Amino acid sequence: MTNGKPVSIIMIEDDEGHARLIEKNIRRAGVSNEIIPFANGTDALNYLFGADGSGAVSAGRQLLILLDLNLPDMGGVDILDKVKANVHTKRSPVVVLTTTDDSREIQRCYDLGANVYITKPVDYDGFANAIRQLGLFFSVIQVPETP
Amino acid sequence: MPISQAFFQRSNALLLAIGIAVLVIIVATSLWLTTASERYFGEVTAARAVRSATADLLSLVQDAETGQRGYLLTRDESYLAPYSAAASRLPDQRARLERAAARLPEVTPILQRVNSELEQKMGELAATVEATRRSDIETALNLVRSGTGKRLMDELRTDLSAILAVSEKELREAIDAQVTASTRLRWTTIIGAIMILAMAGAASWTIISYTRELVAARREVETLNVGLEERVRERTDALVKANEEVQRFAYIVTHDLRAPLVNIMGFTSELEAMFKPIEAYVGAGAAATSEQKAAAEEALRVDVAEAIGFIRSSTRKMDGLINAILKISREGRRELRAESVDLTSLIETAAAAVHHQASAEEGGGIEIDAQVTRITSDRLSLDQVMGNLLDNAIKYRATERPIRIAVRTRRERRGWVKIEIEDNGRGIAATDHERIFELFRRSGTQNTAGEGIGLAHVRTMVRNLGGDIAVRSDLGKGTTFTVTLPPDLTAYRRSAEA
Repeated sequence: MTNGKPVSIIMIEDDEGHARLIEKNIRRAGVSNEIIPFANGTDALNYLFGADGSGAVSAGRQLLILLDLNLPDMGGVDILDKVKANVHTKRSPVVVLTTTDDSREIQRCYDLGANVYITKPVDYDGFANAIRQLGLFFSVIQVPETP
Repeated sequence: MPISQAFFQRSNALLLAIGIAVLVIIVATSLWLTTASERYFGEVTAARAVRSATADLLSLVQDAETGQRGYLLTRDESYLAPYSAAASRLPDQRARLERAAARLPEVTPILQRVNSELEQKMGELAATVEATRRSDIETALNLVRSGTGKRLMDELRTDLSAILAVSEKELREAIDAQVTASTRLRWTTIIGAIMILAMAGAASWTIISYTRELVAARREVETLNVGLEERVRERTDALVKANEEVQRFAYIVTHDLRAPLVNIMGFTSELEAMFKPIEAYVGAGAAATSEQKAAAEEALRVDVAEAIGFIRSSTRKMDGLINAILKISREGRRELRAESVDLTSLIETAAAAVHHQASAEEGGGIEIDAQVTRITSDRLSLDQVMGNLLDNAIKYRATERPIRIAVRTRRERRGWVKIEIEDNGRGIAATDHERIFELFRRSGTQNTAGEGIGLAHVRTMVRNLGGDIAVRSDLGKGTTFTVTLPPDLTAYRRSAEA
C-alpha cells in the first residue's frame, strides 16, 4: 500500500488458527502492514466505532477490514451492515473471508457493500494461495482515509 | 340415536307400505260394509213391502165382505161397489204380495194357504151376491149363516197375521244388521284414521330426526372444514419453519466442521514446511552452520509446538462439535413419556436449584406467579427447558444490578400453557433474536464460557413437546422467553399423527 500513512488491517476472525494462518500467508506475500486481530464482533465494533458507537474514533484512520461471517457473538453480516452504514467507515474496503459459499449469502454481502468476497478453501494450498493473492491485492490497492 | 340412510329409507318404505295396506283394508271394508248395508236396506224394503201388501190384501178382503154385507141388507146395487172394486183389484194385490214375499221362503206355505182361502172366500162371497141378485135371499142368508164365510175370514186373518209377524221379524233383523254394519263402518273408519295418523306421525318423526341429523352432520363438516384449513395452515407453517431450521442446521454444521478442518490441514502443511530447516540441519551433520542450527531450533521449539497446539485444539473442537450434534439429535429421537406433571412444583424445584445465585445480592430473587398447576407432558424435557432458561437468566445477567427473575404460567387459547421467564439481565440485540436459538451461536459480549448449545437444545425439546419458544428482549434492560406448550402431549401427538 503506497499511501504515506500506514494502512491497518482489521482482522475480525474468531478462529485463532485461521487468524494465525491468514497472518502467516499475508506476511509471506510481503505485506508488512499492522494487523489488528479481533476474535469477536463486539470487540471489533468497539474498536471501529468507539465506546459511544458513533464511529468518530475511526476518522482519519486508513483501514482495510478482513471479515469472517460466522462469529460467536453476532453475525458478520451485521458488522458489514454497520461498517457500510457509518459515515466514517463506509469507504474502508471490506474483504469477506469465510467458509460459507452459500450464493444468497454472497449476494447479500455484495448488496450491503462488501468489496471482495472470498471463500476459504478447505485444502491448504488453495487457502494459502488465496491469502497470498489477497496480500498482493492489498499491496496494490489504494485505501482512502476515512472522513 | 343416529339414523343411517339405509334405516331411514327402509323405515320410510315400510311405513308407506303399511299405510297403503291400511288404506286398502279400509276401502275394502267400507265397500263390503256399504254393500251389506245396501243389502240390508233391500231386505228392509222387501219386508215393508210384504207388510203393506199383506195389510192391503186383508183390507181388500174386508172391503169385499163389507160390500157383500151391505148388498145383502139393502139389495141396493150401489152398496155392492166396494165388493166389485175389491174383487177387481184382488188379483193384482195377490200378485203384489206374491212378488214381495218371494224373498221370504218361510212365507210360501202360508201364502199357498192364503191363496186357497182367498179363492174359497171370494167364491163364497160371489155365491151369496149371485143368490141375492136372483132375489134368492134365503139361499144367500143360509150361506152366510152356515159360518163358512166367517171361518174363512178368521183363517185369512190368522194367516195374514202370521205373514205380518214373519215380515216384522225380517224387518227387525234387517234393521239390526244394518245398524251393526254402520257401527262397524264407523269403527273401521275411526281405527283406520288413527292408524294412518300414527303412521304419518312415525314417518314425520323419522323424517324430522333424519333431517335434523343431516343438518347437524353438515354443520359438523363445516366446522371441521374450517378447523382443517386452520390446521393445514398451522402444519404448513411448522413444516416451513422446520425445513428452514434443517437448512440452517446443515449450513451451520458444515461451516463449523469445516473451520477446524481448515486449521488441521493448514497447520499440517505448515508443519511439513517447518521440518525443512530441521532436515537441513540434521542432513548437514557436523558441517551445520550456526544459522542452520538456530533456524532448526526455532522451528522445533516455537513453530512446531504452535502448529501441534492448533492441530490438537482443532481436533478437540471438532470432537466437541460432533458430540454436541449427537446430543441434539439424540434429544430429538428420545422417546417422550407423557405424564401428568405438577408444573408449579417443577418450576419451584428448578428455581430452588439456582436460588442461591439469584439471591446472592441484596434485592435479587426469583418470583413465581403460577396460574396453571397441571400439564400432561414429558417431565424430563420440561425440567431441562426450565433449568436451561433459568441458568441463562443468571449467566447473562447485567453486572450493574441484582438479578430479578419472574416466572409466570398462564392458560391460553384452546387450553395451551404459556410459561414466561422474564429477567432484568443484559438483553439481546434485535438482530440476534433468531440467532440465539441456532446451534453454536451466541450473542453479546463473550464474557462467560459456553458452547452455544443451550437454547438450540431448549428449542428442539420444546418443539418435540409440540410447543414453541419465542424471545422478547430490550438490549440492556432484560429478556423474556415465552414457552407455549399443548396442555396434553398425548392429544397433541394423536392430532399430529392424524
